[in-house]
Amino acid sequence: MNAAATAPEATDSTPPAAPRIPGAALRELAMPLMLAAIWILFAVLSPQFLSARNLSMLLIELSFTAALAVGVLLVLLPGHTDLSVGAGAGLTGGIASVLVFRYGWPAPAALLLSLAVGLVLYWGMGWFIVRNRIQAFIVTLGAMLAFRGAFWLVIGSVTTPVARGGETNLYSLLTTYYLPPAAGLLLAAGVVAVLGWLTWRTRQRRLAADAAAESAEGTFLRIFIAAQGVLLTVLVCNQYRGVPLAFLMLCAVALAVHVMTRHMPFGRYLYAIGGNEEAAVVSGIPTQRVVTTAFLILGGIVAVTGFMATAYAGASTTTVGDLMELDAIAACVIGGTSLKGGRGTVLGALFGALIMASLLNGMTLLSVLPETKFIVRGLVLVFAVWMDVKLRRR
Amino acid sequence: MALLEARQLTKRFPGVVALDGVSFDLQPGEVHALCGENGAGKSTLIKTLSGIHPAGTYEGEIRVDDRVARFESLQDAETAGIAVIYQELALVDEMSVAENIFLGHEPRRGPWVDWNTAHAEAARLLERFKIQLDPETPVRALGVGQKQLVEIVKALGKQSRILILDEPTAALAEAEVEILLRILRDLRTQGVGCIYISHKLGEVMSIADRITVLRDGASIVTTAARETDIPGVIRHMVGREIKDLFPRDRSAPVGEALLSVKDLTVAPSPGAPPRLREISFEVRAGQVLGIGGLMGAGRSETLLHLFGAWGTRVSGEVRLNGQPYPDPSPGHSIRHGLVMVTDDRKRYGLHLDQPIGYNLSLSSLDRVTRRGLVNEAAESQLDREFFDALRVKAPGLETPVGGLSGGNQQKVVIGKALMTGPRVVFLDEPTRGIDVGAKLEVYQLINRLTAEGRAVVLVSSELPELMGMSDRIVMLHEGAVGGTFQPEDFQQETLMAAAMGRRAADA
Repeated sequence: MNAAATAPEATDSTPPAAPRIPGAALRELAMPLMLAAIWILFAVLSPQFLSARNLSMLLIELSFTAALAVGVLLVLLPGHTDLSVGAGAGLTGGIASVLVFRYGWPAPAALLLSLAVGLVLYWGMGWFIVRNRIQAFIVTLGAMLAFRGAFWLVIGSVTTPVARGGETNLYSLLTTYYLPPAAGLLLAAGVVAVLGWLTWRTRQRRLAADAAAESAEGTFLRIFIAAQGVLLTVLVCNQYRGVPLAFLMLCAVALAVHVMTRHMPFGRYLYAIGGNEEAAVVSGIPTQRVVTTAFLILGGIVAVTGFMATAYAGASTTTVGDLMELDAIAACVIGGTSLKGGRGTVLGALFGALIMASLLNGMTLLSVLPETKFIVRGLVLVFAVWMDVKLRRR
Repeated sequence: MALLEARQLTKRFPGVVALDGVSFDLQPGEVHALCGENGAGKSTLIKTLSGIHPAGTYEGEIRVDDRVARFESLQDAETAGIAVIYQELALVDEMSVAENIFLGHEPRRGPWVDWNTAHAEAARLLERFKIQLDPETPVRALGVGQKQLVEIVKALGKQSRILILDEPTAALAEAEVEILLRILRDLRTQGVGCIYISHKLGEVMSIADRITVLRDGASIVTTAARETDIPGVIRHMVGREIKDLFPRDRSAPVGEALLSVKDLTVAPSPGAPPRLREISFEVRAGQVLGIGGLMGAGRSETLLHLFGAWGTRVSGEVRLNGQPYPDPSPGHSIRHGLVMVTDDRKRYGLHLDQPIGYNLSLSSLDRVTRRGLVNEAAESQLDREFFDALRVKAPGLETPVGGLSGGNQQKVVIGKALMTGPRVVFLDEPTRGIDVGAKLEVYQLINRLTAEGRAVVLVSSELPELMGMSDRIVMLHEGAVGGTFQPEDFQQETLMAAAMGRRAADA
């Protein structure tokens, strides 16, 4: 055993690591660099790209792609998938639209009922998948078709506005309400303060527990950069109309899922199931309940995304939610999520979504042909994943 | 003339010298054993000899038939007649035995695979080594031991002259080990040379012609097997003397029955014929109950069922801490103080990509969760406690488990189990594939557990280990109890007889 202590053991079984640090750093920087490249390209090609108005629009578009991506992450982590979220978003948005426009329900009630429908549908789907051990791909592919049909049935295949005759209601405000500038700044200050306090407290606790903590300078730098980011976002938004409500909803969803995946046993279990399901079972993890819960939460996020996407379009049309599932999965994958499960983060998914949303927004601004848009998005997706794989193998 | 020879092999990895001028030779018709603790360089030596570390990445030379060989890949080495049988099984579960044996070099008739020849040839090979298996059985349906035998037959099917076996018997029961050793003796007469790596020194002494001991990447000594003995080999391996291999401390007071099993009959699935029949035993606080038996006798299944991870109970009564325990699930068991360390740690025990800390606390997150959130500081404190107590050798809690040696991985699995604060601990083959030093630590840990008033159920294929560490032994035979023994009756012959389903008197 003394011998084992002196001879590093890793060499016996695995080809040992070349110094990993540069590779790892490169991998973490790869996405920000790619995003920067895309932004610089668009900024050069079209001066409007960096205008406050366009960036506000980009934030709103980002909101539903990213919210959905973060939701899908919950089922990708345990090694499942969901192809139905686009159709599901259309359907839940459609139910709310019909209740408001055709039956004259107050918007909050319509949204609540539709949210409940989303929760029930996805909970049921998750339960069906784990109970019968059928691949999520198949079940959600079926659900995608069924939800799409149900959606068209609900809205009668006609355009159904989210509000009656030009009124505004909670539903329509989802993507048209902006926080007053002062409120935005106050919020930014609050967020930075809470972030700083949490980071500092975590550091203190780790130090108290004798665990490895990063250097004080590193911690400060991280808070400083985050604070800059938050403040810059609010300032840019304030130059247009203020911080969009949709973006705040995204922040709420992302924060909730981040806390779940990083700081709750539930999240640990998601990674455990995706990484090695048999070991998860033997570890005493109620795998079926965990996966069903992930689908339940996804259902809620799908509904919220559906409301935002529909409100952004102004009405439920037959195309709301089209291909959104693929954008969501693409965003997760670009952000480093493994489709086999066990790997991925909320931050990565947000980055991936930002890349996808920026591409679409920029190309629309440049009046790129729809045909070309699809091709470019497809190529970028494959390129991003190829790069991730390359960097990971180093 | 040597079949295979390594001269002054040195292999460096960044920051580590894995092999440090190792010299080694293999003669035709010889079984040459390689011994050494995990991390001593055995696997690196094999990987170098078999072309996995290609020519140019090491210093020194490899010679085959006295000519310098430069292998660029495993295929090159195979062409030269070297076949490696790995510790980790390399069979395709979905294919049949015959398909696996001929995978990559299927007999052909024109462009088509000639399955008739393949099946006939496979049957002939199996027959030759007296392995009773239908070549058309899917590998998925085989036990670990049978898979290992198929793996060996597969290597032999390639007409190899040099066979490298890395822990071939780690998963085999005594009877299967016998089959394997018989095959090796048979090959020896045909001039095949074998490099044999095993932690089971008894086996090494019985089969090897010569033994080379590696330590810290250097070859310490090469000696004829009959000129040394087990203590001698161990001394070279660890560089010091290990006096008592099984330091069972039986002085702890024995308490109340923590787990009692009465007439337990279990089927793999509802309605299927039972695999376990009328099994009864009892474990008391402070005691170690050993469970032995041949591969497939139902040892692991018994534990897995009681833990809640296998089978449907047909009849029988189980009491845990005196309370009836009718419908187990892993989660329930852990909450009721029953925990299991499974035999296949990579499959059932670990999340290899995740850090040590994550693995340690996975079953015990309740203990560090406040208001729904994991208190990471408290978690890392708890992790640290077990990490230190078990003396896991790794840079820190953040190190991924996948890169650790077998012994350290096993410590993490055991730590994870113990962190749940169990009263009854199931250990299924806890020392499989780990080195002597780590084994000793496991034995000491078992002593500590019983001294603290916990009960341990130990399943092992190695009779000396079972006899050395148990306070009582149950031998299983084909899913039923073949005999229960007190320490005064612990004798290899009697226990084996019970495992084979014979009474001691007939044996």
